[in-house]
Amino acid sequence: MTVPFLDITGAGKSFGSATVLDGVDLSVGKAEFISLLGPSGCGKTTLLRIVAGLMRPDTGTVVLDGDEITRKPPHRRDVGVVFQNYALFPHLTVAENVAFGLKARNAPKDTIASTVSRFLSLVQMGAYADRSIKALSGGQQQRVAVARALAVGPKLLLLDEPFSALDRKLREAMQIDLRRILRDVGTTAIFVTHDQDEALTMSDRIAVMYRGRIEQLGTPAEIYHRPATPFALDFVGLSSRLPGTVTAESAGVISVETGAGAIRVPGNFIPGSPVVLGIRPERITVGTEGENRVEATLCDIVFQGARVQLHFASPDGGRLLVETHEAPAGIAPGATLPLSWKFADTLIYPAGAEAEAA
Amino acid sequence: MSSARRFDPILLLALPAALYLGIVYGLPLLFLLGRSLFGAGGLSSFVGFFADPFSWTVLANTVRSAVLVTLICLIIGYPTALVLARAGGFAQAAILVAIILPLSVGVVVKAFAWQIVLRRDGVVSQIMTGLGLWSEPQRLLFTETGLVIGAANIFVPFMILPIYAVLKLVDPRLGEAAATLGASPVYRFFKVALPLSLPGIVTGVAFVFSMAASMYVIPSLVIGDRFQTLATLTGRSFLFMRNEQLGSTTAVVLLALTVSVVIASAWLSRRLGGAQ
Repeated sequence: MTVPFLDITGAGKSFGSATVLDGVDLSVGKAEFISLLGPSGCGKTTLLRIVAGLMRPDTGTVVLDGDEITRKPPHRRDVGVVFQNYALFPHLTVAENVAFGLKARNAPKDTIASTVSRFLSLVQMGAYADRSIKALSGGQQQRVAVARALAVGPKLLLLDEPFSALDRKLREAMQIDLRRILRDVGTTAIFVTHDQDEALTMSDRIAVMYRGRIEQLGTPAEIYHRPATPFALDFVGLSSRLPGTVTAESAGVISVETGAGAIRVPGNFIPGSPVVLGIRPERITVGTEGENRVEATLCDIVFQGARVQLHFASPDGGRLLVETHEAPAGIAPGATLPLSWKFADTLIYPAGAEAEAA
Repeated sequence: MSSARRFDPILLLALPAALYLGIVYGLPLLFLLGRSLFGAGGLSSFVGFFADPFSWTVLANTVRSAVLVTLICLIIGYPTALVLARAGGFAQAAILVAIILPLSVGVVVKAFAWQIVLRRDGVVSQIMTGLGLWSEPQRLLFTETGLVIGAANIFVPFMILPIYAVLKLVDPRLGEAAATLGASPVYRFFKVALPLSLPGIVTGVAFVFSMAASMYVIPSLVIGDRFQTLATLTGRSFLFMRNEQLGSTTAVVLLALTVSVVIASAWLSRRLGGAQ
């Protein structure tokens, strides 16, 4: 990314004594799709409202397309928003909703008509132009809200958990549709969600937010495979965690003594430091192929269709989670089995960070 | 369809109100209607009423003062309702109390208070001459202007409350959505807030107009006999002139006037509400 299209620097916001946003920096490239992912109260919606101009930050600046817009009112920003509850105008028809922004900007009449029909067909709502908003289903309202926001050709589109009211099947279909639409139009978008699957599916990059800060910014694969903090590890995907102490370090390889045994990990830690190890469930296999091996007792087999989860207890009482396509033949709860994973698949964090995040 | 015809026991809850209104309001009204239509003069009393130019002055006084009062209430009330709907917590409670509390002060008390404000050396006159808007002090007391100012003071809560009730239900995100679509604050007001609050406006207008058209105490206290409205003429006919025929006639004309405004606004409200 050369020159960022949207550049947020040091954005902070407090309500009374509660700091909701604690000096956030974020740069977004043109036509990029970025998700702000985090639990409720992490500040993601506040950041979105600051970018939209619906809220003033206490500190920091927002620069969009070379323009400082920190104090600009929302109607002069060219930033579109799709709200969680869609916020469609109930007194207007579908077409009038989509035309609203164009009329507010005094677009010529024939431009309005053609733009409205173009965007309604883009979201496959062309047949509903003259319907009342009340007569639409949730998914249809969602499409109209996207068309309305895009029709004015915003520089940036913000989406505030737009799929949270839809059922799972429809949500997954809409995620793929929205991605296609935004790619067609070439709009830069910031997408707020607490749903990790949604963020992993749709984003070019994900900003994992926690307690008013961005914990990690990276591609979905980076976030999933190399979570930078214990919080990112926990919030995105499943993992097994093993607390332990570093016993030796040489040439970027450290040995960690855990309740399940000695584990070798890539990293640089001073011997004696308390650490937490994390392993993704699909990286652990039943057997002895990997460099790191432990023995654990199978507690439970959970069938999930395409995948099977195996829950293990290690000798010290810690839990290990294994995910595979098929349970190995002949195993039953109560059996003690060898588990292994690759040296490089072991994630390591200082134990202090874990305490802070917990 | 047959189930829609079946008797709904919930309707029984309306029985107390129906009985009460039927006895206290409906029956006397029927007697009044009967007297005006089938009394000594019969329909000819209406013919006589509308043939008299004085009746038209009274009718015009009634409609003009009621329309002005309604307008002033709307102009003062709408922004207040807007502020009230946006305010939160303590501020909202404080404004609500400020609006409702004056209702507990009787009209008579207020009318005497206005005398201080509206007389020739009153507050209004001093401000207007002080600002240079009036060349000399004027008396507003015993004028129609004074009446309209005073009546608006009494009725403004009945404009604010229904508008507030509707505005409060309008999702604040609609205004934000309009802003992010590029609509200026003024455009947002006229294209979003105002159309969505029309049902409240219509209700408030119906309330205030019907009360202002039928007010009796306020014009009697503020102006006196020189300014007759349908309501004061009705009162005079019954109380002083002992002309029950004229009183019934003016009462029915007033009733027809206010009922048609209320019905028209209810219809409008339903239509505008249905559009949402």
